[in-house]
Amino acid sequence: MNSDGVTVTAHALHVPDPIGGFAATAAGELFSSVAPEPACGPDQAHTVLGRKGLLFKEDATRLALCAVHRAFALPPGKLTEPLPGAEHTAVVVSSNVGNARTVRDIVAEMRAGSAHDVSPLNGPNASSNVIASTLAIRYGFTGPNLMVCSGATSGLDAVRLGALLLRGQRARRVVVVGVEPDDEVARGLAALRPAAPGTALPVPLRAAAACVVLEPGGTGPRLGGVRRHTRPDDIADTLAPPTALRLTAPGAPGAGGGIDLTAHLGEVYGALGVVQLAVAAAWLGSGQPSGPGGALITCGDGEDGYASVRLDPAVVPALAGGG
Amino acid sequence: MHVAITGAELLTCHGGTDTTFAALAKGVDGSQGLRFYDTGRINVTRGYHVDDSADAESELPLRAGRWLARCVLGAVRQAGVDPAAERVSVIVGTGLRELRAMERWAVDGVPVRRRDLHFTTAVREVLPEVTEVITVSNACSASGHALALAQDLLAAGEADAVVAAGCDAMSESMLTMIGRVADAPTPALQPFQEGRAGVLLGEGAVAVVLRRAADAGPGALATVLATGLSCDAHHETAPDVGGIVAAMRDAHRRAGVSPHDIGLVLAHGTGTALNDPTEAAALDTVFAGAAPGPLVTGIKGAIGHTSGSAALMSLLVAAEAMRSGSVPATVGLAEPIEAAAGLRLVVGEPAPCDARVAQVNAFGFGGVNAVSVIGVDR
Repeated sequence: MNSDGVTVTAHALHVPDPIGGFAATAAGELFSSVAPEPACGPDQAHTVLGRKGLLFKEDATRLALCAVHRAFALPPGKLTEPLPGAEHTAVVVSSNVGNARTVRDIVAEMRAGSAHDVSPLNGPNASSNVIASTLAIRYGFTGPNLMVCSGATSGLDAVRLGALLLRGQRARRVVVVGVEPDDEVARGLAALRPAAPGTALPVPLRAAAACVVLEPGGTGPRLGGVRRHTRPDDIADTLAPPTALRLTAPGAPGAGGGIDLTAHLGEVYGALGVVQLAVAAAWLGSGQPSGPGGALITCGDGEDGYASVRLDPAVVPALAGGG
Repeated sequence: MHVAITGAELLTCHGGTDTTFAALAKGVDGSQGLRFYDTGRINVTRGYHVDDSADAESELPLRAGRWLARCVLGAVRQAGVDPAAERVSVIVGTGLRELRAMERWAVDGVPVRRRDLHFTTAVREVLPEVTEVITVSNACSASGHALALAQDLLAAGEADAVVAAGCDAMSESMLTMIGRVADAPTPALQPFQEGRAGVLLGEGAVAVVLRRAADAGPGALATVLATGLSCDAHHETAPDVGGIVAAMRDAHRRAGVSPHDIGLVLAHGTGTALNDPTEAAALDTVFAGAAPGPLVTGIKGAIGHTSGSAALMSLLVAAEAMRSGSVPATVGLAEPIEAAAGLRLVVGEPAPCDARVAQVNAFGFGGVNAVSVIGVDR
């Protein structure tokens, strides 16, 4: 394959409590087929990560840590030393409201008394990049560290920037995470947005995290270039070849035949693009695909615009001397 | 790949680009008594406001986005870029987004839209045809990270022009946390000063338009040779010498320069107990063999710590200092800390300078480091 190509070499979904339950929908069946085990909620994250170091970590940070831990297939508990290759590993996280509740709480606690009534341990959480930096500290990732808060396209923006870090030779591996919490502040903010086209009510917000690991020239599914567009079905020619799987933006009209994962998961906002990519990578690796091509993914909304990317099957190397 | 800055605009407590440069040249401390906040409760009394309110009691909503839009539009017009005719990406670096608006909504019931927490709407209201707006919330080095990504987008051929920008307004939550860890309100922001008390927040926005140097034509304001990035992966709030040195060396390697080539450093210089000795030690390490070493100055004593905007503001000041041949003194600095004894800090009055290559430092919470190397033709 092209040595410049970016591939997905690992992936994980960590989505507690999807809304669909056992309802038989295309989105539910797809998600259950690639992530059959229910993920623990943030309050149980210690069962994945070990107890040490989780005090004062927010829900979004705990879920993001779980997704990364599972993407690297690590045993439960905290690492005693950095992951191999950590010094050349970048982190790119997408989350729009990950620390909104903490920010609200700091102000509310201060207003009820004074700054001295606020725990200083909440200080790092006042800065929106706390999720990305916490991942770096826990796993020893000293490559570039980015926190993307771009709204509805944020998940695929993070994927796009992760690939850019590889192409710019700023890292040899990029850990891309999409994560959102579903606390009362995130829900309150979500309630302010208009309903998706064609739906009477916005789908409920749900906590979710996903991780994809990007590397140049690996043997995993091949990532195309992320393209931005203003209408949900206005796909550029480079994205147009047939795909066996189409994952659409929430409520996107005119994208017939595609699967809207939020119908099963709930609205996962800045996590969505990464969740979709992890689902597509898991699906391509599951032996289910049939037909031409891989997956075409779109996230976004009518306010922030749309972003799309293809994920195509890994190229199977020809056998030496084979005919 | 070198990229040219073909347009730029900034906004600080001193006003626009020209008035800010003039205030820096005169060494004006732009701090004021803090407005809009209960200073007794938050244990912070001063800051460097952008004064856009009608009176002392009126705090306009969505200030950061408004300043950003003004600077992006100004920089694009100066550069002569037409987003309808070519692919123009906007990368916004911010520390505190519009979290102030979120705070007012959550605690005071002031209406907000979720989409206003990031900056797509604010930019598209003035430039509807830009290809994309990406918001990177990378604490106090955010606009340095935006600059690095802008260069990479141009190098990859994914855009014809990129606007790298930064913006930040004070948030009540961040002021609260600054006051929480201080014994008493900080009276002044004094980078590298013996006995300095800590940081004060500034406000503002900045935008630069970048093109591949080969496409830019004559008259560029400066050339960005490279931006180096690193993460300490060390501590949530304390900076680390090793991580900062790594970003500086990455910047030099990418720029194809040695420490001998760099005549000026715009330091991060927050005036905090942690940053200043750590930054001084990193500069000592990197410039150890390059005697006498570059001139070093910082601008936060004049305009406050402008968080996500800080990197690009320092970059424009570095370019102006090299063009004018005069480096502004570090406002608030009279007696440097012992850890900075090896640095050629600019103290008291502006220093003459014939440098053509400068380094710009920016470091953020979580150990996110961005160091740029820029050059000017004189």
